[in-house]
Amino acid sequence: MTTSLITAADPAATPEGPSGRRRPDRRGPAGYRDALSIAAVWLLLIVATTIVRPDFLSSQTLLAVTFTMSISGILAVAQAIIVISGGLLDLSLPVALVFSAWATVTALNNGLPTPVAIVIGLLAGAAWGGLNGVIVVFGKLNPIIVTLATGFGGLAVMLIFFTSAQIPSGSDLRLYGLGRFLGLPNIFWPMVIVIVVAGLALHFTRWGRHVVAVGGNAQAAKARGINLRRMRLATFIGAGAVAGLAGVMFSAVTPSFTAGAGAGFQLIVIGAVILAGISLSGGKGNLLVLLLSVGFLATIPASIAFFGLPPAWALVFQGALLIIAVGIDGYRLKRTAR
Amino acid sequence: MTQTSTAPARPATLFDDPQQSRARRILGSFKGPVGSISATLVVTLLIGLVWVGPSFLSPSNVQIVGVSVAIPLIVGVMASFALLAGVVDLSIGSMVGFGAVIFNQLVAAGLDPWLVALITVVVGAVVGLTNALVIVKFGAEPLAVTLGMLTLLRGLCQVIVVSAPPSTLIDPLYNVTQGAILGFPTLLLIGIGITLIAAGVVSKTRVGRKVQAVGGDDRAAARAGISVTTVRVIALMVSGMGAAIGGILYVGQLGSASNVLGTGLEFQIYAALMIGGYSITRGGVGNPLGGLLGLLVVAGITNILNVQFFDPDYLDLIVAIILLAAVLVDRFRGGDSFE
Repeated sequence: MTTSLITAADPAATPEGPSGRRRPDRRGPAGYRDALSIAAVWLLLIVATTIVRPDFLSSQTLLAVTFTMSISGILAVAQAIIVISGGLLDLSLPVALVFSAWATVTALNNGLPTPVAIVIGLLAGAAWGGLNGVIVVFGKLNPIIVTLATGFGGLAVMLIFFTSAQIPSGSDLRLYGLGRFLGLPNIFWPMVIVIVVAGLALHFTRWGRHVVAVGGNAQAAKARGINLRRMRLATFIGAGAVAGLAGVMFSAVTPSFTAGAGAGFQLIVIGAVILAGISLSGGKGNLLVLLLSVGFLATIPASIAFFGLPPAWALVFQGALLIIAVGIDGYRLKRTAR
Repeated sequence: MTQTSTAPARPATLFDDPQQSRARRILGSFKGPVGSISATLVVTLLIGLVWVGPSFLSPSNVQIVGVSVAIPLIVGVMASFALLAGVVDLSIGSMVGFGAVIFNQLVAAGLDPWLVALITVVVGAVVGLTNALVIVKFGAEPLAVTLGMLTLLRGLCQVIVVSAPPSTLIDPLYNVTQGAILGFPTLLLIGIGITLIAAGVVSKTRVGRKVQAVGGDDRAAARAGISVTTVRVIALMVSGMGAAIGGILYVGQLGSASNVLGTGLEFQIYAALMIGGYSITRGGVGNPLGGLLGLLVVAGITNILNVQFFDPDYLDLIVAIILLAAVLVDRFRGGDSFE
C-alpha cells in the first residue's frame, strides 16, 4: 500500500483542500459504514412506502427502479472515476451521453451492423472524454470550469446540428433495450458489470491504484514517478468510454431523443457519487457503495409516486438528501482530522 | 471603465502599501483581468458596429441590452461576494426562480407587495444561511451543498407552481424594471450603481479586504484574526438575498413567474463572472467591475446574434470558448494551474 506514505509526505497541499482533513485510511470501516447507512436508509424508505401502500412491493416497482438505476448507474461510474482520480467533477457528462447515443443511432441508421454501431458509440464517448482531458491537461485548467464550458458549448453544437435522433425501431439494439433478462431490464446488467469491473479495477490493478494515488495527492504521486499527464488523459478517456456505454444503453431504450435529453441525469449522477461518500477532494471511494446510493436515489421517485405526491417532490427530497449527506460527510472528515 | 483606479489616492491609513504613481496604477489595472475583459468588450462593440452597423449603438438597442443585462448583473454582483470569499453558490439560479415564485404567488393571493418583498428577501437570506451552516459549520464542499440546494429549490418551484402561474402587475415595480431615465433603463442604472458600490467595498474598504483574505487563504486569514465563519456566512446570505431580489425584479419585468424561471441562470452568470476575472474554484480574485464587463460582453454577443437572426445556440458555444480563453489567459497571468 502506498497510500499512507503519500498522505504522510504531503508538504504542498492545494490551498482549497488542506491535507490534514483527508483520512489516511481510505478503505477501512468508513466504506462499510457508508454502505450500511445507505442500505439502512434505503430499507427504511422501502418499508415506509410499503406500510402506506402495500402494493409498492411489486415486480412493476422493481422494473421501474432498476430501469432508472441502469443509465444513471453507468454514468455515475464515469463520474466516480473522474472524482476519485482528483478530477473534481465532470459537468459535461450529459453531453457525453447524448453525443455517443447520437453517434450510435446515426451509425445504425446508416446501415452499419450493431456491434460496429456500439463500438462507434463507445469511441464517441471516449473522444468526448479525450477532448476534456486534452484541454484540462495541456491547458492546466480546472476540470470543473473546463467541463462547465465544454458542457454548455457541446450542448449548443448538438442543438445546432441535430434536433432529434431516432433509433431504427426493428434494430437489434432496440430489441435488446426492450428485453428482459432474469426478470430485470436487459440494460440493468451492463450497469452491474461496469460497477463490478470498475470497482475491482480500482482496487486491484496497477492502473486503479495509480488513479487513487493521483486523486489522493497529485504532487506526491508525481514524485513517485507516475506520469500525471498520461494518467489524467487516460482517466478522462476511460470515464468518457464508460459514459459512451451509458449513451449506447440510452439509445437502446429511448425511441427518440433530443440534444438536451441528458440534462436530467446531471443531478442524480453527482448526487449519487457524493452520497456514496466519494469525496470531491479525490482519492477515496467505493463503487459498491455507489451502487447502493444509485439504487436509493432511483427508488425515491417511485416512492413519491406511491405516496401520491407530485413528482416534483422527488427533486426536493433528492436535494435535501444531498445537503444532509455532504453535511454529515464533512462533519465526519472534520472530526477525524482533530 | 477604470473608475477605481482613477479615483484620488487616499492616504494609506489601513495598510502601509507603498503608494504607486497614478499612471502606474492605471497601467497595472489594465494588466489584470479587468484590462483584458475591457479589450474583449471593445472588440465585441467593434464587431457589433461593423456587422450590425451604427444601429447597434442606437438608444433603442442599448435599451434592449440594458434591460436584459440588469437583473443578472444585480444577482451576479451580490453572488460575487460568495465567490470572493471562496464559497461558490450554485443555488442562485433556483433561488431567483423560487423568490419569483413565492413573490408572485403571495402577491396574487392578495398580500401587500412590500410585505411580500420583505418575506421573499428574508427567505433568500434563510436559504443562504442554510447553505452557510452546512458549508461552514460542517465543513462540506460548497459545490455539493449548493447543488443540493439548487435541486431542492427547483423542486419546490415545481411543487408550488403546477399549472399556469397567476399574473401580477405591480405598477411601481413595473416602472422600475421597464422604465428609463434619459434613455437609459432605470434598472440598468440601479445595477451599475450597485456594482460601483460593491467595487468600492471590495477594493477600498476593510470589509472588502477581509473577504478577499478569507477567499485567498482561509487559514492565513484565520491566523490574522479574521473570523472566516462570519465572513462566509454573511457572503452566502448576501448571495441568497441578491437572488431573491432578482426574482422579485423578474416578476416586475415579466408580470408572472413560471416554475422554470431562472433555470441555468447560475451558469450564465458565473460564466460571465469568470470571463470578468472571478473564479468559481478559488476565492480572493475578481472585482465587480470585471463582472459587469463580463456580463456586458455576453449581452453584447447575445444582441449581435439576435439582431442578425442567428440561432441563439451559437451564444453558448461562443461564451464557452471565451470562458476557456479567459481562464487560460488568467492561468498564464499566474493564476492557479491544475495538474
